[in-house]
Amino acid sequence: MEEKITTRRKVLIGMTAAVGAAGASFAVVPFVASWNPSAKAKAIGGPVKVDVSKMQVGQKIQVAWRKQPVFVIRHSKEALDSLSKVESKLDDPSSLKIEEPYRDVNPTRSTSNEYTVIAGVCTHLGCAPKYYPEMESQPWDESWVGGFFCPCHGSMFDIVGRVFKGVPAPTNLKVPPHYFDGSILTIGEERGTA
Amino acid sequence: MKKFLLVAFLFFGSQEAFAAGGAPCGDYGECDSFKPELNNMESLQLGALTFINHCYGCHSLKYSRWGRISKDLDIPEDIFNDNLVFGANVKLGDRMTGSMKPAVSETWFGIAPPDLTLVTRLHGSDWVYTYLRTFYEDSSMPYGVNNMVYPGAAMPNVLASMQGQQILSCKDFPVIASNGGVRRDENGNDITEEKCGYLKTIEGSGALSAQEFDEVIFNLVNFMTYVGEPSRSDRERMGWYAILFFVVFTALAYLLFREYQKDYH
Amino acid sequence: MTQKSSGFFNWINARLPIVNTYERHLSKHPVPKKVNFWYMFGALASVVLIIQIVSGIWLMFGYENTEEGAFASIEYIMRDIEYGWVIRYMHTTGASMFFAVVYLHMFRGLLYGSYHKPRELVWVFGMTIYLVMMAEGFLGYVLPYGQMSYWGAQVIISLFGAIPYIGESLEIWVRGDYYISGATISRFFALHVVALPLILIALVFMHLVALHEVGAGNPEGVDIEKHLDEDGVPLDSVPFFPYKVLNALVAIGIFGIVFSIIMFFFPEGGGYMLELANFEEANPLVTPEHIAPVWYYSPYYAMLRAVPDKLGGLVVMGAAIAILFVVPWLDRSKAASIRYKGTLSKIAMTVFIISWLMLAWLGTVPVTALRTTLSIIGTIIYFAFFLLMPIYTSIEKTKPVPERL
Repeated sequence: MEEKITTRRKVLIGMTAAVGAAGASFAVVPFVASWNPSAKAKAIGGPVKVDVSKMQVGQKIQVAWRKQPVFVIRHSKEALDSLSKVESKLDDPSSLKIEEPYRDVNPTRSTSNEYTVIAGVCTHLGCAPKYYPEMESQPWDESWVGGFFCPCHGSMFDIVGRVFKGVPAPTNLKVPPHYFDGSILTIGEERGTA
Repeated sequence: MKKFLLVAFLFFGSQEAFAAGGAPCGDYGECDSFKPELNNMESLQLGALTFINHCYGCHSLKYSRWGRISKDLDIPEDIFNDNLVFGANVKLGDRMTGSMKPAVSETWFGIAPPDLTLVTRLHGSDWVYTYLRTFYEDSSMPYGVNNMVYPGAAMPNVLASMQGQQILSCKDFPVIASNGGVRRDENGNDITEEKCGYLKTIEGSGALSAQEFDEVIFNLVNFMTYVGEPSRSDRERMGWYAILFFVVFTALAYLLFREYQKDYH
Repeated sequence: MTQKSSGFFNWINARLPIVNTYERHLSKHPVPKKVNFWYMFGALASVVLIIQIVSGIWLMFGYENTEEGAFASIEYIMRDIEYGWVIRYMHTTGASMFFAVVYLHMFRGLLYGSYHKPRELVWVFGMTIYLVMMAEGFLGYVLPYGQMSYWGAQVIISLFGAIPYIGESLEIWVRGDYYISGATISRFFALHVVALPLILIALVFMHLVALHEVGAGNPEGVDIEKHLDEDGVPLDSVPFFPYKVLNALVAIGIFGIVFSIIMFFFPEGGGYMLELANFEEANPLVTPEHIAPVWYYSPYYAMLRAVPDKLGGLVVMGAAIAILFVVPWLDRSKAASIRYKGTLSKIAMTVFIISWLMLAWLGTVPVTALRTTLSIIGTIIYFAFFLLMPIYTSIEKTKPVPERL
């Protein structure tokens, strides 16, 4: 008994293997897809609303969206005006390296001309940066003009979350989708995309 | 060997005939048959509306989420929010946990109204379809109604205004002689006997005709069947692809097997 | 294969015998060249085992092993997890298919005498697998914590109560509570997903190693080892790869069609695979009207009910399983296969299979006086088939078994 490899056999082997592989790749879909966030996780991770009218100028609050910190900062006019002064220190002042949802709309990077809404997750390795609004010398920067400093690995960001040059964090802090209805800020969705 | 298989087949085939016991729909006997139409969006939407308006006040659908129904039933979210979502502060991702506190309902009905997410799977859609259409007036019951499928049900007939008054009545049936014909008396008239326990709706007492009412219940139970297993229509659709795949695969594998069998046959 | 092996594989093989093992147990393993479809169920059983392990792992991602959360977590898997229903139905259909395939595999063993010398241990390991599977299936059925989970477990655990003296405290010990509670579920969960699968895999391994030591049987009952070629390979055999792999592929394809039809169109199996009462959360205060086991336990459940004594029922049910283990020593026939056995064996086999199917049906329906009588008759036939086997297999005249396949 001798096993011969004829053309017919080759063709049949190829076809069977191809059909089998196609079937296997479909069979894998449910197993892969079932690892996505479930309807429950999506419901819990739905948009959150917060009233920002009671915030002081210069104040930062932390809102949890999808169990992750989102920073909302109310800026004074002067603070926003001085934003251009730090640009020389910044790595990517116009947020060209990332998907910026509201680019060139407001200096705050948000849809509001007063409030900044940024994800409080350092783009380096995911720690939560701390807010140091005071314009005073800090151990990590003698000419600190206010902004965020990450205690984990020393990344620095300005008051609207733009990353400094020469720090481990590669990009600016992300701006989550959001919209304002008067003083009610909704984080987690764009207007009209319920 | 084939004999064994044949015997086994006959045996299992005859199971239905053997399986006696209590009738599936209680005093009503056999349930009326219900064939769901899970791709009939209009029926499902109307059913959902009936459920929310007439059932959801007492019964929850706690394993189901509002948004899933809006999506599966092709109801745009704003229309869904305005017309179906029950209760303030309800988000589309929330589960349909009902609008009644269990403690309150227990004092009202003596028993908390059950969650209905899985009722069509538990009892079968046939059962639910029959149950909802077999309430009848019975003054001995706390709500003045009883049910043929589930005697003593602690539930008012919430759809009575549509169906009208339904009562138990008696009918005359011809008596069948041993030769199969109808027995007659000496004057040549048919002999009849009275049998009771038949449902009769009093004409004109409800807002809907019997046919319209059946349709409302059909849509309602169709919706409840969907809620019992929302993935069912996906399941049946994907099933055809799976079967098709295995048929093609088997055919190819068989050809290959035959080809290689030549080596040793 | 050997000439194709590269230097790398030779290096590995000198340290870890994977190539040798692969050739010995898979690629070159000689298999009888003429077998019929009955010989496919072993391969299918291993396919289902893999399906069960993979789908089971995926179910664990969503399942919650608590009294409050178990039932809701099943609906969470069915609704909230993407394609969770595919995974769940795969597992529930797989459970029934596992038993279906294993029952057919066992029946093949009885039919063609697969337990005959020198395959006794293969049979004994197989029966142990079956026993562990029954426990595994039972534990798994309790996990959704529906009404049937609860009351089925109640009935089975109460069986321990039949054991004299220690019974009642044993029941409480098994449950870890005074009723089937979260404590019971969490231990059943650990046993179902870790302990028993480990044992099962080890047993399957032993079953296969023992089988490959003595070689597979065939429907003729011919000993193919008697006629070898110059390399010591049986003349009536073909190597496993590619010939038997192709056999298996065809079987897997057909099995896939059957599996898909059930899984996608009849996942409840008419209430025999997923019992309808299990769509209601467990309620320790209300017993469902009719408690029936899933179909694969029903013959033994019918035997249990046939005996009007608690301890007696347990003993009969246990004996019905135990007796399967000693079949290799009950069959005294010179011929392994039913094809060459005498008339008595053929009659016994026919009556046995009919009564087994009857018991399977009786175990799923409510008790009546007539059915209890039928159950008793079925139980007697079941035991008679085995206990009388040494007699009818030795007195009957067998046909001569051919030399070659």
